[in-house]
Amino acid sequence: MEDVIICRCEGVRYSEILASILEGASAVPGVKKRNRAGMGYCQGRVCQRVINELIERETGQPAPLQRAQAPVRPVLLGDM
Amino acid sequence: MAANFRLPVAESSEKREQIAFTFNGQQVMGYEGEPIAVALWACGIKTIRSCGATAQPRGVYCGIGHCYECRAQVDGVANVRTCMTPLSRGTSVSSSSDWHIEGA
Repeated sequence: MEDVIICRCEGVRYSEILASILEGASAVPGVKKRNRAGMGYCQGRVCQRVINELIERETGQPAPLQRAQAPVRPVLLGDM
Repeated sequence: MAANFRLPVAESSEKREQIAFTFNGQQVMGYEGEPIAVALWACGIKTIRSCGATAQPRGVYCGIGHCYECRAQVDGVANVRTCMTPLSRGTSVSSSSDWHIEGA
């Protein structure tokens, strides 16, 4: 399989997600802390479900989604 | 810009005047109030920025303000979603850099 980009914001590839799961990540925040997937501008809106399914496929365990944290969209410091 | 991807039907029914704006310093035309990304696409510009991590071209992906792939610097404000921002006369759009924020 081609090594596609899973997290388009941070440029994290399929192989990097798999590597972080092999390293022990059992939920989306674990992957996020290892390779920044889901930490870009869209805040995991695009990649979170994919990462979740990859974790469930690799570990065979249900993986919780990350909690939404404020601010839910990137905002300018001047607007806060 | 010679390219024009607007439907002929839309062209003939549109009596509105086209307005000028700039993309990376180049003058392009579009209709007032349409999304900036749509105006750019109609002129044949699909690459709005390049990926900070892989340097690949990036443009409209979801088109509904969800993914931030079409973000650009609009009138000095960095990381504006061009698919969600209405075009107005003289708007200055430029490909924004992911790690460098100007005028914000």
